[in-house]
Amino acid sequence: MKMSLRIVTALTALAAICALGTRRVARAQESAMPQSAASVVKTKVYTSLDPVPRGKEFQVAVVVDIQNGYHMNSHKPFDSYLIPTTVTPQLPAGITLADTVYPPGKNLKFPFSPDKPLNVYTESVTLRLRLSVGDSAALGDAGIPITLRYQACNNSACLPPVKIPLTASVKIAAAGTKSKAMHPEIFAASSAK
Amino acid sequence: MSNAKCAWLLCVAALLVSGAVTACGSSSAKVSNSADLQSAPDVSFKNLDGADVSLSSLKGKVVLVNFWATWCDPCRSEIPALIGLQDKFAGKGFTMLGVSMDDDGVKAVDPFVQTTKFNVGGQQRIMDYPIVLGTDAITDKFGGLLGMPTSYLISRDGKIVKKYIGVLDEQQVTKDIESQL
Repeated sequence: MKMSLRIVTALTALAAICALGTRRVARAQESAMPQSAASVVKTKVYTSLDPVPRGKEFQVAVVVDIQNGYHMNSHKPFDSYLIPTTVTPQLPAGITLADTVYPPGKNLKFPFSPDKPLNVYTESVTLRLRLSVGDSAALGDAGIPITLRYQACNNSACLPPVKIPLTASVKIAAAGTKSKAMHPEIFAASSAK
Repeated sequence: MSNAKCAWLLCVAALLVSGAVTACGSSSAKVSNSADLQSAPDVSFKNLDGADVSLSSLKGKVVLVNFWATWCDPCRSEIPALIGLQDKFAGKGFTMLGVSMDDDGVKAVDPFVQTTKFNVGGQQRIMDYPIVLGTDAITDKFGGLLGMPTSYLISRDGKIVKKYIGVLDEQQVTKDIESQL
């Protein structure tokens, strides 16, 4: 009888260990794909000057951190059918866009494209808007709505294209107002690229 | 402990072990077996000619429903294998069903299907298996689509046998289809 009890205990323990392992494997499988396309990137928006006097140029940087194991198409993917990464501002009156600066992507091969490299962004990428403030821009705090569009994949599957709404905060001041350079680590680094 | 109590405990433990061991060895990283064999949802698609195609109309056939998009490179990479599966099994009661999730619908998909050629065993082939258009409402009925490609193997009696997220393993899916024919 004691032997039977030991067998029952051992079998139950084995079942418990195996069931726990199964749950962990199941969780790992679920975590292989994110819950949404938006969740594979984290974004931060920076402004280069504070305040920005009328008549001055300034920059907005969108820093995109891409989840490990994922990539997104660069702004200029090699094939026209691929959806490029874009950053598009909706400009308030008096603020104009001089240029949008996209860094070059990396040429990488993937298991689903072993012979032909794709031009992609991985890890972290900084997209910059070069803007200028005209005399008609309203003084004070302003928010510039920005839309980041991208389409991300991992080594085996792709997430649907997504548009992420962002906002750049900027304070517009009178012409000639002293201003301070902000986040030089971002703007100096991305200018050098 | 009485003999009856001991026997009952042994039974419980044996059931636990058999269940857990089965689950432990059941699937690879991207394939999930439908343990309780849920019925495929009762959905209706539009084909590229605008006609309705209901999934239930395919009952009696083994169906591999493949959600894809023209902008999805991994989806494109498995199309030659899907054409090959249709060639191999269409005469045995199987059909592919490609469900495009392109936002632009037939405008994007029809030219792609008609003109894009794939190397299938050295031959240049177009996607000559049935293609229909998907919607978010349809994927919701499948439990939501996390990524593409995602495929579902449906048995002759309309049950979801397997779900595959990501590029299919051709050998594995061939084996899975054969097991249903």
